[in-house]
Amino acid sequence: MMKRLTPWILVGPASLLVLAFLILPVGATLVETFADPKGWLAPYAAFFNSGFRRTVLYRTIEVSLITTILSVILGFIAAYVVAQMPARWKSIMIIAAVFPLLTGVVVRSFAWLILLGKNGILNNLLLSLGAISEPLTMLYTKGAVIAAMVYLFVPLMILTLAGVLEGIPKDVTEAASSLGAPPFAVFRQVILPLAMPGLIVGAVLVFTGSFTSYATPQLLGGESQMMMGTFLYQRAMVTFDWTGASTVAAIMVVVTITIVVLMTRLARRMNPMAA
Amino acid sequence: MTKTPRLRVSAVAIAVAMAAAASSAAQAKTLTISWWGFNGDKLNANIVEPFKKICGCEIVFETGNNADRLNKLKLRDGKGVDVIYLSDSFSQAGIAGGMFQKVDAAKLPNLADVYDLAKDPQGGYGPAYTIGRVGIVYDSAKVNPPITAWKDLWRADLKSAVTLPGITTTAGPMVVLQAGKQAGADAFADADKAFKSVEALKVNVAKNYNTGSEMVNLISTGEAKVAVAQDFTLASMKAAVPTMTWASLSDGDIATLNTVNIPKGSENVELAHQFINFILSKDVQQINAEQGVDAPVSTKVQLTPDQAKVWTYGPDMIAKLNRLDYVKLNDAKTDWIDRWNEIFSR
Amino acid sequence: MRTTLHPALLMIASLIFAILIAPLFIILGASVSDTSYLTFPPQGFTLQWYSNIFEITAFRTTAITSLQIAFFGTFLALLIGIPAAYALNRFRVRLPSFLSNVFVLPILVPEIVLGFSLMKSITIGLDLPVYTTLLMGHTLLVLPYAVRVVGASLASFDFSVEEAAISLGCPPLKAFLTVVLPNISAGVIAAFILAFITSVNDVSISLFLTGPGVSTLPIQILAHMEQFFDPTIASVSVLLMLLTVGVMAIVEATLGLTFLTK
Repeated sequence: MMKRLTPWILVGPASLLVLAFLILPVGATLVETFADPKGWLAPYAAFFNSGFRRTVLYRTIEVSLITTILSVILGFIAAYVVAQMPARWKSIMIIAAVFPLLTGVVVRSFAWLILLGKNGILNNLLLSLGAISEPLTMLYTKGAVIAAMVYLFVPLMILTLAGVLEGIPKDVTEAASSLGAPPFAVFRQVILPLAMPGLIVGAVLVFTGSFTSYATPQLLGGESQMMMGTFLYQRAMVTFDWTGASTVAAIMVVVTITIVVLMTRLARRMNPMAA
Repeated sequence: MTKTPRLRVSAVAIAVAMAAAASSAAQAKTLTISWWGFNGDKLNANIVEPFKKICGCEIVFETGNNADRLNKLKLRDGKGVDVIYLSDSFSQAGIAGGMFQKVDAAKLPNLADVYDLAKDPQGGYGPAYTIGRVGIVYDSAKVNPPITAWKDLWRADLKSAVTLPGITTTAGPMVVLQAGKQAGADAFADADKAFKSVEALKVNVAKNYNTGSEMVNLISTGEAKVAVAQDFTLASMKAAVPTMTWASLSDGDIATLNTVNIPKGSENVELAHQFINFILSKDVQQINAEQGVDAPVSTKVQLTPDQAKVWTYGPDMIAKLNRLDYVKLNDAKTDWIDRWNEIFSR
Repeated sequence: MRTTLHPALLMIASLIFAILIAPLFIILGASVSDTSYLTFPPQGFTLQWYSNIFEITAFRTTAITSLQIAFFGTFLALLIGIPAAYALNRFRVRLPSFLSNVFVLPILVPEIVLGFSLMKSITIGLDLPVYTTLLMGHTLLVLPYAVRVVGASLASFDFSVEEAAISLGCPPLKAFLTVVLPNISAGVIAAFILAFITSVNDVSISLFLTGPGVSTLPIQILAHMEQFFDPTIASVSVLLMLLTVGVMAIVEATLGLTFLTK
């Protein structure tokens, strides 16, 4: 029957694209990692036997989670304010939020050097105010990597949420307020549940994005803050070790999927009202 | 690509080829060159257009950095490209991977005028068409006394002042070799000792760089005042910090060569030889050197002192350069990357 | 009456936007500096780094390729992504729940490995033309934004409105275009912007999917930066911002038109 098939016809083209251009090709690449003559899990054992590689994996998880949490909070606040603005301001603020995404990673990290470097604007300001006597080391730390990634992912969060918050009818929140609900209760019981689908999508996009990034951690963290993306890049492009690189990729995919699923579950549990 | 039947070259076929230049697969007389893709307009005027007139062929390009292009060539099993430009550590990796064919020196008469160093750097494979060097650059206004040897990198007064090339860059492994020498060991034979010495260098490192632009940014913003660098970056550093100086090292700079090779799947081997011979000719080498494109390897090229200033140029300078054993280096690379990562990520 | 904003909220938001904007001034300054390296504050003034993009042949041709790929790739992704997002929300009970996460895969798999796999099985395995694979690769890359960001907007849409329209005799496609689409336009615009930007900036996928005769602007800029350290990269960023303002003006104008015909 036609009606029963409708959902499948609608998701069909997109699913086929993902199947033919992702699941099959990438699947073929990942399957090869199990063909090691030393045993089918040998490349994985080699990865987890190295303390250094485990550290890189834990660091990547940690940095990505912190980046996600901060981006969600800051992005939500910014998007909420954007949604309350008059139409003209709304467009301007959305454009402003998009701009950081358009800067190349090298030129963006140059800007961070100017702002946060040894001789940067912030250090010079603090020195001249007498707040510090020695320039602070702000770059090449875990904090610097997180800050730079949050900078990059807050815009994504704002854009994702702007569309969702826009869809929340004003009369719903107004009705709640006029019935005497305090602002926080309106937020907790009305806005948050309605925004939850957007928050989940945004968080998933931010987490996967930061988990696989390699240019930003490399430029702002240096080798001391190496993440999985950089490690994979070295394997693949420098030593031509595609089995090693695919092993790293498989681990990354499994970890990301696990965390994304857990994140989604957690968010839904916190909010039974949301889908 | 060999599945497609080849067209017999005729005037008609060339016309067809030109009409369909976008796909290089079917035409016999299209030379596909894989190179970096910078300086495109100068190279177009100095090499591409003149060579097109000589060969009566079309030329198509694949662009990207060493690693990208070599990886793609490997995936295509050495096919799809007729000539590939690479820096020597990558061309050695290509040779080890069985991706190139040996060149026929008899078809490259211009080799006669090329410095010995560049003639046959990798055992019967492609020659080098340009030469550079890796050395130490420092800010002479802030670093006193001047740097005169590789061991000066370990000096106590250079704490957090140095930027080293990352292990995955062209110059990175050279630091390991010098670290070995500093510790009195051959890094290939005794990696433990060499990396102990790298570890001792860590306190002096502000941040290691992975691209030339990153390094120039570190120098221009004052994050670092000493760099282990390739010669072509000097001009930009000097523009930003006029007191940046190329150190005159008693134990010598290290040579870097850019080579041209013919992949084993090339469908235009004759044309590829003709092209390689052409870029080694005195005229091409002369004009590229004058315009600041590539340092010459042809002994016939004459440059004014001002033109030569930016280059690794002349028999005296070239004789002093150290060469690296890339066969050994590529074998050690994976291990070295791990060791380097462990030191600098701690 | 608009909901009044708490002053603290307004202050935090202003601070967030201030921090988002601050580095852009540095980039703008560096892009007009008359020096062969990036510097701030700028020394002298030149538009040379802007004219570079138009004068250097490789930049010009690859910029056109990049814009074409980004535009068509985004368009295709929305064309197949919006119906998928719609079905995932409208027929939630009839589709397996893992399906929505399948559409996150393109950004979940590390891009280098995705590019490598695509080159191996599509470009080489199927012997498809370079341009086609590049376009399909980019469509795939931006599909998550089309499906998930539009989907997030649809999640709060009340489908009973659409059903009412259909039960009153409105054909389903018309009901979608006139009832559903206008209500999720903010989500579609957001998806369009994110997808377009992701495509235009992409390096890792393009790395493997470009080939002889076909290259993209980010790849060409990386090539340029191997040898030159000048502010061209800063001017590219500024040009992309200007382009975005232009594209968004067009998007708003065309959407404004659909509102009029409604």
